[in-house]
Amino acid sequence: MNKLYLGGAIFTILMLAFTYISVGGSEGGLNGDIVNMLAVAGAVALVIITVFVVIKYVRQMQTDTADGELADESWDNIGEYKNPVPMGWAIMFLGTMIWGMWYFLIGYPVNAYSQIGEYNEDTAAHNEKFNAQYESITGDRLVEMGESVFLAECKVCHGLAADGIDGKAANLKVRLEAKTVKHVVENGSNNQLLGTEMPMPDRNGLFNNNTGALITDAEIDAVAAYVANGMSGAGADVFAGACASCHGEDGQGMEYVAPNVAAFTPELVANVLNHGKKGVIGTMPAFDRLNAKQKEAVGAYITSLSK
Amino acid sequence: MFHWLEKHPFFFAVGVFLVISFAGLIEIVPNFAQASRPVIGTAPYSTLELAGRHVYIKNSCNACHSQLVRPFKSETDRYGHYSLSGEYAYDRPFLWGSKRTGPDLMRVGNYRTTDWHENHMKAPADVVPGSIMPAYTWMFTNLADINTAYAEQLTVAQFFSTPYNKPVPMKDGSTKVVAMGNNVTEANAMALEEAKLIAADMKDQDVKDAVANGQIPEIVALIAYMNSLK
Repeated sequence: MNKLYLGGAIFTILMLAFTYISVGGSEGGLNGDIVNMLAVAGAVALVIITVFVVIKYVRQMQTDTADGELADESWDNIGEYKNPVPMGWAIMFLGTMIWGMWYFLIGYPVNAYSQIGEYNEDTAAHNEKFNAQYESITGDRLVEMGESVFLAECKVCHGLAADGIDGKAANLKVRLEAKTVKHVVENGSNNQLLGTEMPMPDRNGLFNNNTGALITDAEIDAVAAYVANGMSGAGADVFAGACASCHGEDGQGMEYVAPNVAAFTPELVANVLNHGKKGVIGTMPAFDRLNAKQKEAVGAYITSLSK
Repeated sequence: MFHWLEKHPFFFAVGVFLVISFAGLIEIVPNFAQASRPVIGTAPYSTLELAGRHVYIKNSCNACHSQLVRPFKSETDRYGHYSLSGEYAYDRPFLWGSKRTGPDLMRVGNYRTTDWHENHMKAPADVVPGSIMPAYTWMFTNLADINTAYAEQLTVAQFFSTPYNKPVPMKDGSTKVVAMGNNVTEANAMALEEAKLIAADMKDQDVKDAVANGQIPEIVALIAYMNSLK
């Protein structure tokens, strides 16, 4: 027992005494609280370990002598032994190299994080879930889905009530308003309502078969009122003479020729969503980012509004 | 060589720096150059669109609206494809924004139109119930600053080689040429032509009259800019 150990022991006891006084004397103190006890135990362990590790190395520096064969090289008169690398170091060195090769070739390329990869996985998982849940819905559930899509995507223009907010957009509660019919008859139309280019001629291409002449202003007003009135009332004769050859006698349209002007159909709505349209009110952009089922649902909802 | 380096710590440090930066450079520079190149479909702004961009900045639209769609399903459902860095190649400065009090506007040109913007800027709550966005009525009377927009075009064309009057590849395989005037008079005339197309889709008679008289209200420029965001 030399004076180094003695000094260490005295220092340890002093530190422990200080810890005991400061902890035991404070409010709460060593009152059996498990966290306090653990903290004190930790402090005691730290003090003891620190003191005796320091003593070990101080003693080693005092007494150790080194030996072995010196290397030829001398750096400012500081030599170096030709000792072999310790076994633990050698193993760690080799292990790091092997791990490095694994990480470079397999670890990183296979497991690396990619934000876009995560996005793609999320999207695929969501689409799968969506399809599993909604692929086959019909009827009222389809209309419900259409309403929720409408409220998310369409209401900013067409309004919560789908009435077009005082003419800012098309009123979807009726198939056509008189001003729309009038505009289309006067200016023609090419809105791809059938999914393909199928232009309707303007008034210079519209003959009234009843009179054998181009459609007149009065006839346009009459047929506009007739269509806007749900295909009833005055103007039926003009419709039969000028419009029915393409749009059908009852206004139901003809496949590949002309769209339905009597009622909304899901196909019609889907085509508007795919291609957008431009009319008397303004331009509607295409909403082709909706998926097929959502378009079908919006079609079902809008069709249900005017029934 | 190594002995020499060991005896000259300064040059050793320089060597270490070179080796480490080489690794960084070959990792970072090609990737960065690739990502910041304009993507196909990104075209420079026309004079009127640039004037609209200045209106956007002047009114601090970027304080409430971001222009950055993040790669999350919920965002791409609402706003369209997530943003790519090359899409901002001609934005000086970019207007990513950092807060969304209103919706993102990165691709607003895809799903809103001239007439909607007109209604909305006049009275936002009339079209979007519960909207807290204020009305920007002064844009219907203030005139857009075409001269400054032209000055910016000249600057970016000269210093950053922004491709004005050159074909730019578009997504459908075609090319688009964004024209820039040879002088400020020509630039004003071209902006007016563009403004007439926008005004034709608008309803405000004062705006239509102003454009017919050769003036360009701020709202027309702003709508041109909004429509260009795709």
